[in-house]
Amino acid sequence: MTNEAQGRPDRAVEMPKTVPLPGLEAYRADQQACAAAEEAKWQKQLSDYEAAKAKAEAEGKDAPKAPVKPVAKPEGDLKAPVPTEAQDPDLLRLKDVFGEAVEEFFEQAGECTAQIARDRILEVLRFCRQDPSMRFEMLADETATHYPAASDFAFSVVYHLASLSRSKRLRLRVLLPEGFELESATQVHRGANWFEREIFDMFGIRFLNHPDLTRILCPEDWEAFPLRKEYPVAGLGQRDIDFREDRSGRLTRRAQEQAGHSAINLKIPTAD
Amino acid sequence: MFGGTEYMEINMGPQHPSTHGVLRLKLKLDGETVISCEPVIGYLHRGVEKICENKTFFQGQIWTDRMDYCSAIGNNLGWAEAVEKALGVTVPRRAHYIRTLLAEFNRIASHLVWLGTHAMDIGALTVFLYTFREREEIMDLFEDFCGARLTTTAFRIGGLGQDLPAGFEKAARAFLARFPACIEEYETLLSENRIWKKRTIGVAKLNAEDAIALGVTGPMLRAAGVAYDIRKAFPYAAYAEMDFEIPTRTEADTYARYLVRMAELRQSCRIIAQCLDGLPEGPVMAKLPKSLKSEVVEIYHPTESPKGELGYYLVGEKGGTQPYRFHVRAPGFANLQSLAPMVEGGLVADVIAAVGTLDVVLGEIDR
Repeated sequence: MTNEAQGRPDRAVEMPKTVPLPGLEAYRADQQACAAAEEAKWQKQLSDYEAAKAKAEAEGKDAPKAPVKPVAKPEGDLKAPVPTEAQDPDLLRLKDVFGEAVEEFFEQAGECTAQIARDRILEVLRFCRQDPSMRFEMLADETATHYPAASDFAFSVVYHLASLSRSKRLRLRVLLPEGFELESATQVHRGANWFEREIFDMFGIRFLNHPDLTRILCPEDWEAFPLRKEYPVAGLGQRDIDFREDRSGRLTRRAQEQAGHSAINLKIPTAD
Repeated sequence: MFGGTEYMEINMGPQHPSTHGVLRLKLKLDGETVISCEPVIGYLHRGVEKICENKTFFQGQIWTDRMDYCSAIGNNLGWAEAVEKALGVTVPRRAHYIRTLLAEFNRIASHLVWLGTHAMDIGALTVFLYTFREREEIMDLFEDFCGARLTTTAFRIGGLGQDLPAGFEKAARAFLARFPACIEEYETLLSENRIWKKRTIGVAKLNAEDAIALGVTGPMLRAAGVAYDIRKAFPYAAYAEMDFEIPTRTEADTYARYLVRMAELRQSCRIIAQCLDGLPEGPVMAKLPKSLKSEVVEIYHPTESPKGELGYYLVGEKGGTQPYRFHVRAPGFANLQSLAPMVEGGLVADVIAAVGTLDVVLGEIDR
């Protein structure tokens, strides 16, 4: 992809370096790391000050200004939502019933999230739909996220459930390594059909027991999966020749012949 | 011909005038009866999700205009609120009111486009001329407010770019005074029209159970007797302070959806009047740093667009100025799934009515 991206900043791909997967434990670890870094910085400032003071005293100069410990000031009307311990009865019930299969559960920005073991997801979806105390009748949305920087998984698939009778919402999350197949939610919610086709189309995640797992938004012969992070924003599928220079299409045809392409450039550029 | 049945397969669209854009339907017909219907979408796919992942939180909004271009302000509202929820921004109360007001105007405009085109598809050409007369006034109001008529980009993250312009309230009140008579005018043309009733009553039925299983929301679901409106169930903007009703019908056919949407026009007028009466004083923009950075966060923000549940899913990266992942749950996308069960077994002419009653806008379905 490098030669393709040369001189075309819009075709360059910057891969993410972090794994922004919200979670209570990750948040706490991050907070601790941040606090430790702050403390180390402060200690360094202090020791620097002591050294400078001693040096100034030895040279008979005025002592330098003492450092002031920085206090985090609130930024206007901005207050980032943080993950908190789950209080919601739905989450607690889910944990009670499924135990180990609920890998993580927390609340953030007023939304409930439960991370489910990937081989139990169908069971959990069915429970959420049928249990009289849950009654999440509708699968409002299903989508995925690509995490190329993560080591033990590649995607998260999220299910947004809505309960019309109780006016509640719940997010279920499944982590999925590259190449693994997930049981299709169409076995519980028929409406998952197109959502899963879209996930397949955009990420290449395959679903078991799906009635019709074909591309939905991209053309049938499209190569690669657009919402993966290694896919460039512009470039793939674009014609390489400007229409203004090539009104008759002669240059396009010649370029296609040389490249061995039938129509527009659908091939993923390779390094050579 | 002699024994055995031969089906005819035809393509409706992608350039059929009644498909409202580029929707292709693969129909299998037995005479005039539809045996199966398979919608093919994606002709208008522009990769909005991918593009927004590479734009800052401020820039993303312009792409939401171009999804459902009949209700750009509704999309802007969802986007602005989703980003505010992800970043934890507190929006001033006056901004909430003005947003609600504009979103309801947009609901009226969107329903008017739907009514005009839906009636035109079925054969009542006149209604189109009447509805676009009123829609024009709403577009003028939008132009007054933000300078654009269709692709509005009306809001900012944290509130509004500007307060209501001078004279806006007067024009809005003049519209409200006139509009109920206009609704009656449309109803005079349609409600008791014998042809309209024959083409809509009992056509394209979808019961509540199927609708919920397929993820159908909005007027489609309310016409099946489920009083589910996100403005009531999960209030956002200033809807918690508004007094309005959720119109429902139980017939679950095309005529019921028409009646529900007409009732929604009246409810929108009520909400707009309440917004104008109770408009609080104060600033319209929150105090924010110049560059907005997110923490690790994952949110899904549902809003009630004129077509149903419009949800924005955002994943934020620590210190990121762009969304790490952006996903739109388009109401039309989920609603269009119900087209096949609605038309199968019906007549081919009723496919037109079914597509119209779904209120499809391919810009949001294909994104």
